[in-house]
Amino acid sequence: MNQISRICPVTDTDAERLVRPGTFADLGARITTAPPADLGARITAAPPADLGARITAAPPADLAPARPGRRPRGHRKPIRTPIGMSLAAVAAVIALVAAALAITRPSAPPKPATAPPPSVESSARPLAAQVLSFTTSGGYITVIVRNPLADPARYRAEFAAHHLNITLKMVPASPSIVGTVVYIEEPASGPDIETITAQGRCYTGGGGSACPVGVRIPVGFRGQAEVVFGRAARPGEQYESTASATAPGEVLHGLRFAGDTVAQVLALLRERHVTVPVFNYAQSGGARNVSHVPGTWYVYDADPWAPGQVLLFVGPTRTPPANQAPQPGTPVASPTS
Amino acid sequence: MPRPPIADPGERQRRFEVVYAAHRGPILGYVLRRTGNPDDAADVIAETFLTAWRRLDEIPRDPQTRLWLYGVARRVLANHHRGERRRSALADRLRADLAVGYHPPEFDGEQAQITEAFRGLPAADRELLALSAWEGLDYGQIAVVLGCSRNAVRLRLFRARKRFAAELADAGARSAQSGVHVPHGGFV
Repeated sequence: MNQISRICPVTDTDAERLVRPGTFADLGARITTAPPADLGARITAAPPADLGARITAAPPADLAPARPGRRPRGHRKPIRTPIGMSLAAVAAVIALVAAALAITRPSAPPKPATAPPPSVESSARPLAAQVLSFTTSGGYITVIVRNPLADPARYRAEFAAHHLNITLKMVPASPSIVGTVVYIEEPASGPDIETITAQGRCYTGGGGSACPVGVRIPVGFRGQAEVVFGRAARPGEQYESTASATAPGEVLHGLRFAGDTVAQVLALLRERHVTVPVFNYAQSGGARNVSHVPGTWYVYDADPWAPGQVLLFVGPTRTPPANQAPQPGTPVASPTS
Repeated sequence: MPRPPIADPGERQRRFEVVYAAHRGPILGYVLRRTGNPDDAADVIAETFLTAWRRLDEIPRDPQTRLWLYGVARRVLANHHRGERRRSALADRLRADLAVGYHPPEFDGEQAQITEAFRGLPAADRELLALSAWEGLDYGQIAVVLGCSRNAVRLRLFRARKRFAAELADAGARSAQSGVHVPHGGFV
């Protein structure tokens, strides 16, 4: 396919040359600070939250940007809940919209621009044991997650009863992306699962504000798919999916700290009741996660770690080493794994 | 084949570093060839290798490792284009490097026509053709990346090439009427 080779935008070699040597080392170091557990592997049983269909009628949560210097709210996200739901309930508002299996798809459905319209709970049988409810309305089946902390096998079983081979997982996520789609895995061919987005509900990569809050499963979808949602983390539970630590709704929203010393940033975080269980710094032999670093070191960046906790990327120089491989850091007293 | 879980954290880290060092360049190339946006590319790279870290036990041995990573990157890109984007702090420095250094090529003349024809194809066709032409994969390797049979790849690639030829003929006819200048802005 010579012609297509001629429009190859960039070769592997040229791509690698775009990246400074220290950058790849830094990224690798940051990645290995993430919990290695497989997505969803750490979900455990918890009291179920019964989420009725009416919850899907709530408008997309409004993430009002907090003002810099405002009194912190801990790890809670500043969401208005017009029908007085608890934050935990909001966190679990997850609507999967599936095209009605019995109806032939007349044409491609319009690209959804907002959260699904209110649906009337009709056919869902109120079985106490149900973890999902399926409601047929207007040619679609709305699937509501009644228990966001159920055993994933139970979701699978209930999808299977509706002839859908879909695995649903919930992973602990940082506050601003709780209740959003974190990941979809689906077959390479056949109709795509599409996302339902809510503008401004969360902030995503590249400055985007089209927040994915649900999925729409087209008629004829017979493949195997996995849909992963972010759920609220329990106290002390490490996030598996994070937004920027300074995004609206995250604990460091509105703060600027890059280039400040560790001592300065820790003082700032104390005001917000945010703690730092782990510092990460890169050195020539790879990254190190440690529990203490000198207060005179500098902070480069932060990432949400667990409710009320962030990880700080730090080093002994004011700016991260950029033009060469990371410099060896000063030895520290108490490394952790 | 997946191997037994790696229990030792040090061994786990070493195994990841071997995979990362060997494949980060080609995976970066794969992603940059499919998105002209450096921000998106940086996030997709970070997410791809984060997935590799979390699913280290599932990564097959060479020469299948890169194909597995292409498959992950392809799915992450698909998620990204649907809006499930995460601006990850992980990728900040990579984002900065790519923003400074990466300028997608702008084609004119015959290359612009080829680009226009290529863009006119369905996404699945583009991916097949690109895996063949840009990554240099054969039918069997593409089958691994896409998770389908070798025969299916052969058939789909045949059809994709036919559609591409038809698109190219159309693009040629259009460019005869007016000059064509197509900046590359990502093909997915």
